[in-house]
Amino acid sequence: MPSRPASPTDRREFLRVAAASAGVWALAGRGAAGAAEPRPAAAADSGLPAGWRTMRKFDAHNHVFGLAPRPNADWAEVERLVAAAERLGIEKLCCSRPVTGGLMADIEVVRESNNAVLAAMKRYPRLIAGYCFVQPGNGAAALDEIDRCLDAGMIGVKLYNQFKYSDPVVFPIAEKCIARRALFLGHSAYLTDPRSLALQPKTSHALDFGALSRRYPELTLILGHINGGGDWEWAIRALRDFPNVLLDTSGSVLEDDTIGRCVRELGHRRVLFATDATMEGCVGKILSAELTAEQREDVFWRNLQRLLDRKPA
Amino acid sequence: MIFDINAYVGPYPFRALRTRTAAELVAHLDRNGIRRALVSSLPAVFYRDTHRGNEELWAEVAPFRARLVPVATVNPKYPGWERDLAEAVERWPARAVTLVPEHHGYTLEEPAGQAALRRIEAAGVPLLLTQRFEDRRQRHAWDRAEDLKVTSVYAAAQAFPRLRFVLSNWAGLDGAKLAEAGLRGRVLIDFARMQVLFREEVPKLIAALGVEAIAFGSHTPFDYIGGSLVKLANLDALGAAELERVAWRNAVEFLRIEA
Repeated sequence: MPSRPASPTDRREFLRVAAASAGVWALAGRGAAGAAEPRPAAAADSGLPAGWRTMRKFDAHNHVFGLAPRPNADWAEVERLVAAAERLGIEKLCCSRPVTGGLMADIEVVRESNNAVLAAMKRYPRLIAGYCFVQPGNGAAALDEIDRCLDAGMIGVKLYNQFKYSDPVVFPIAEKCIARRALFLGHSAYLTDPRSLALQPKTSHALDFGALSRRYPELTLILGHINGGGDWEWAIRALRDFPNVLLDTSGSVLEDDTIGRCVRELGHRRVLFATDATMEGCVGKILSAELTAEQREDVFWRNLQRLLDRKPA
Repeated sequence: MIFDINAYVGPYPFRALRTRTAAELVAHLDRNGIRRALVSSLPAVFYRDTHRGNEELWAEVAPFRARLVPVATVNPKYPGWERDLAEAVERWPARAVTLVPEHHGYTLEEPAGQAALRRIEAAGVPLLLTQRFEDRRQRHAWDRAEDLKVTSVYAAAQAFPRLRFVLSNWAGLDGAKLAEAGLRGRVLIDFARMQVLFREEVPKLIAALGVEAIAFGSHTPFDYIGGSLVKLANLDALGAAELERVAWRNAVEFLRIEA
């Protein structure tokens, strides 16, 4: 288990990583002096539950962007992600590398993206798990890519916004996930801002997930980032009618009572902790939410562990 | 001690906030280990006569003045705003003033905005600018406000060189550009929408502007406080004295209030 209370070694590592990646602490002229001072534990951890760093956490939704699977790959961003996870007590990062920006890419580009995830899994085998990104529009090649990635140890499939999940073109992907007992994590948002919607017209919302779940009730379907931008209250209300849809808690929006509402209205067993790279904020909102210790453990890691414990096909 | 410089009192028209009154806010801060907060009035953003919101805020925080430091909201498009500002700054006295140009229908660049900046600079109190209350991707159909642009901050900083700024709930700030605009030593930025780890936005701002430019902020009651508490906990590499600056001392010194 990589997480532990902060120690002088942790501080040195934090300073080293920060300095190596941006040089910021060194430029500020505070590296050595900061490391030498005693850690002000009472002030630093004020307001947080005791032992929050060592609470077990699995991040169900993250990414390894900025990494090309080549010999001279730049690992800096992944290394910062790993360092952040270790500081926050996150033991598992479930990562993908989707093709974004509204593109429908060739299958070679998709394979390259997945190869980056496989490289990260190989470099950090205990920490990083992989989702296979595919575009349903790639047809049979997308299904072959899923097999390739799952055979290489990935845990599931990640779809982005190239197609609505209620579109029949997605059905073979869902059927492949069922056959391989793989997780299906989908990008989601109920966008109410016309400009945002124009940029992502095929982003699926909770009712699209519901339609797919109703067609395939045996599919392990995860609505990605309930706080990823979009009306999360709308999404939670919509999901009440679709008990087979899980959700993850990630996203840059940290709005109060999101987690409480998810748990009260959907049940805590449907809620998976995740960050989608909003690292401290997404840990903090689980710590702030009014959950029992058992509910918090389930959300932080046990719900995902139950899914991973199923025997793969 | 923790001093939160990004907090509000009052209802919000587009979402049911769980903490609305000053008493509820103080109880919420207590549950999260936070001693004091700089609070603005949400009704003052949405009332046509903004100053009525100020009056309500001052009355509401009166029993909690050791805990809550109120901010006056000014609308330079409304008649008599200069008197409102003077009353707030000289009589109450407000330790900071906020402008909400997107909600009050003007820009900082147009004459009304420039007049307000000039008066606030002359009053010698910091100007609090909130980049946004909520993410626009979830906006209500009646919510037309855009995020404030940092270019407006650069321009205001250069045009009014004695004006001090509290930048609340901002993301995407470039410390070097803020320094170029002359803001080193006259800006206080909360980290509610920034990361200490991974993206390292907070350490980068500290490198560019000094640790005295950063303060704890949570954007409560809109957001969970826990995220900001986790960020503060991960600034422990700063050492005790500088962590204390971020936790509360920078806020007290910048606002020129008693510790």
